[in-house]
Amino acid sequence: MAQRNAFPFDYELYDLANGLRLITVPLPWRGTASVYIVVHAGSRNEVEAGRSGFAHFFEHMMFRGTPDWPPERYERELQRLGASSNAYTEDDRTVYHTTLAAEDLDTLLAMEADRFLHLEYSEEDFRTEALAVLGEYWKDSAEPLNRLHEKLRDTAFDVHPYKHTTMGFLRDIERMPEMYDYSLAFFDRFYRPENTTLLIAGDIEPPRVRSLVEPHWGPWPRGAYRLEVPQEPAQTAPREARIEWETHALPYVAVAQRAPAYEDTSVECAALDLISALSFSEGSELYRRLVIEEQWADELWANQVDHLDPYLFTVVARVKQPQRTADVRRAMEDELDRLAAEPPPEERLEQVRAHLFYRFQLGLNRSDAAASHLAPFLALRRTPETVNRLFGTYACVSPRDLAAAARWFRREGRTVVTLEEKAP
Amino acid sequence: MKILTHEDRSPLLSVRAVFLTGSAMDPPGEEGAAWLAAQMLAHGGTRRRSYKQILDFLFPRGAFVDVSVDKEMTCFRMECHADHAEEMAELLAEMLCDPGWREEDFQRLRDDAVHYLEAGLRGENDEELAREALYGLVFGGHPYGHPCQGRVSSLRRLDMGAVRGFHTAEYGLDNVILACGGAGAESAAARLRGRLGALPPRTRSAGFVAAPPRLPESTIVFVEKPAQSVAVSVGFPLDVLRGHEDYPALLVAVSALGQHRMSSGRLFQSLRQHRGLNYGDYAYIEYFPGPMFTLEPEPNHARRRQIFELWVRPVAPEHAHFAARLALHELEKLADAGLAEEEFEAARSFLMRHWVLLEEARSAQLGHEIDGLYYGTGRQSAYLRERLPQLAPADVRRAVERHLRPRALAFAFAGPGMQALRESILNNAPSAVQYNTARPDWLLREDEAVCRRPIAAGVREARVVRVEEMFE
Repeated sequence: MAQRNAFPFDYELYDLANGLRLITVPLPWRGTASVYIVVHAGSRNEVEAGRSGFAHFFEHMMFRGTPDWPPERYERELQRLGASSNAYTEDDRTVYHTTLAAEDLDTLLAMEADRFLHLEYSEEDFRTEALAVLGEYWKDSAEPLNRLHEKLRDTAFDVHPYKHTTMGFLRDIERMPEMYDYSLAFFDRFYRPENTTLLIAGDIEPPRVRSLVEPHWGPWPRGAYRLEVPQEPAQTAPREARIEWETHALPYVAVAQRAPAYEDTSVECAALDLISALSFSEGSELYRRLVIEEQWADELWANQVDHLDPYLFTVVARVKQPQRTADVRRAMEDELDRLAAEPPPEERLEQVRAHLFYRFQLGLNRSDAAASHLAPFLALRRTPETVNRLFGTYACVSPRDLAAAARWFRREGRTVVTLEEKAP
Repeated sequence: MKILTHEDRSPLLSVRAVFLTGSAMDPPGEEGAAWLAAQMLAHGGTRRRSYKQILDFLFPRGAFVDVSVDKEMTCFRMECHADHAEEMAELLAEMLCDPGWREEDFQRLRDDAVHYLEAGLRGENDEELAREALYGLVFGGHPYGHPCQGRVSSLRRLDMGAVRGFHTAEYGLDNVILACGGAGAESAAARLRGRLGALPPRTRSAGFVAAPPRLPESTIVFVEKPAQSVAVSVGFPLDVLRGHEDYPALLVAVSALGQHRMSSGRLFQSLRQHRGLNYGDYAYIEYFPGPMFTLEPEPNHARRRQIFELWVRPVAPEHAHFAARLALHELEKLADAGLAEEEFEAARSFLMRHWVLLEEARSAQLGHEIDGLYYGTGRQSAYLRERLPQLAPADVRRAVERHLRPRALAFAFAGPGMQALRESILNNAPSAVQYNTARPDWLLREDEAVCRRPIAAGVREARVVRVEEMFE
């Protein structure tokens, strides 16, 4: 199995003179194409005090038009094309994505280039959009998991921008309407070709795509801003926080550990991916115990989300017997502690590798899905090859490597956040 | 049994097995039986294997079996890699035809259903809470009147016998549509056909799901709960299903009014783009499962009874009354004047092209084909490509006039300050919005009219309920 590429499609990389990277991926599904514009700017770029949440807010502003394509015209054209179009912001990236009939690619590329090169909006529109962002924050905050992750980051980090969620601190969101000038600076700094990767996947011919991209995107000038992200010092003592939820809720427990930055050839980094599936997925022994047999919890999972800078390996459980919250937490922590001492058998590790490989394959079931699975990796390394390298590294992780990687799970680097219903 | 197969050289196999049963067939007092029967099959053990053994089997294959339970359809979905096509088809057959009915699985899955209602709907997802509250109003006393998961009290009463009884009565060989696509589809279909063919026939009649009673007057439910914003859903029963002569025209109209998660709709433009009232606003003529989680409609939620629905995403409590007024104002404008030629063309073009994208993944295609069988309209993309070119703006105008001018509406609000909102609505108090920046004159003039319009004439009932009482 290790011989098979996890990303099974051929691709081409092409760097324009201005630094924009074009990645073309012909796919077997007929008639459609997906365009993913990956801007290498996310909430990690919000290094200045009071500017948290700005990358996400700016994502909204990108739909506010240009002189040639005012928003009404832009929306109407996407509608006419029947396109599926949206955008999202994460810690390390902002992604604008559209899937449509391959024959309409030319039109879309012209429209998209226009807004990346000539975005223009009024202060009135800016202030109005800030309210929609606040509405999005309030909508999200009704969900316990969002609040749990917000608290977790704020507790686990001191100086790195990963301290805040992509939405940003509420206090900053409320001040956003006043930041019009800063929004212009944000665009000027980060929306630049050398900071953007353009993925075009689907029923396409790469040479033709290149010939479409070059005239529209070639004139985009490079920027000069140098981002300096403050690095988080090592955590030296365990941390803890608690949220009281106003309405009925089942308790949540999140146990997080500092984890290394993404590196596709790092055995240690790959080992943490394997551990997340081995120890905390539906196929794990802990899941069997907590969810199926004891039935103390109804959900258990681990997030090992790849990041440009060291982030968190997070295990989350939802506890269905609230009086067992402490027991569930102990079981999660014990499992983390145990890994360093008890490496799994190689045969079990092989099952985990197979699980990760096949799960990734199931995601590749149409143009948009293939592109959307690739986009996060492009934000990290700007090449699809990183997927194959990462899966290649999985194959090299031995049980002993896995135990060694569990050194990241020392208690002094641990942060635990619980969410529980407020006592009456 | 109906069978669809599309074998191809894809490295993946997709299977959908849809039983034409669901929560509308729950016997009275046993709400949740359909839900639990399906969960016991998909997330419990078989006679031969415990649930843990099934998870251990699925894990190295990266495969999954899942189920969705709706009012009249229960869909088991399996996805796996070609490497495991044979053995996964066998597992699915075993799960569907030879369930284990273990008490410990039953306890776990019944807890899950209760927690979905108590913690999930009441506590974690205010938008879905308002939607379910709306359906409860429109379908009160009707088989669609409870959430598909059941009710808290009925779930607590249900025992395994009732759930097995539901399964025996409903899961018949004459009541299933099987669809297999991708790698090994023919072989998987043959295997499943053999096994499903051994099921006994359905012992209950398919039953006639009557239309919900017309709303004689408008009715409102205010669900009081602590939150920072108010979720709003508005709707009324609609007689138009796929295949109805007005369906294509109505679909165009509602797409222009509020295509799901697209910013082109009038509602989105009016509430969010111009006024910043919330995150988005949409309109529907067919039930859309989990709209906050997905951009695309998950197939196999076909229903014989539908409602027209406005989904206003959470707004600041002080704007809830105004937002509802403005959404209705947009609906009324549509009913009064229909669509302009350009708007009509754009919405029609969108639907004709967009549905091709929705059916691109093999599993989605199978699901939409099954829905096409259910409604007798064929695959939705083909149906729309055939029908939409024949439409003119006047058809849309006529369909809107016929179906989107209700005498009475149902409203559900969920959030804080419900008593005050109730007073404001019943007294038709003005609800002007203060903006944080200059707004154009046309917008301010429109606000001036909107902020005084009644949201409904003659409200029959306007109850404030505590969230703890919902779905009990």
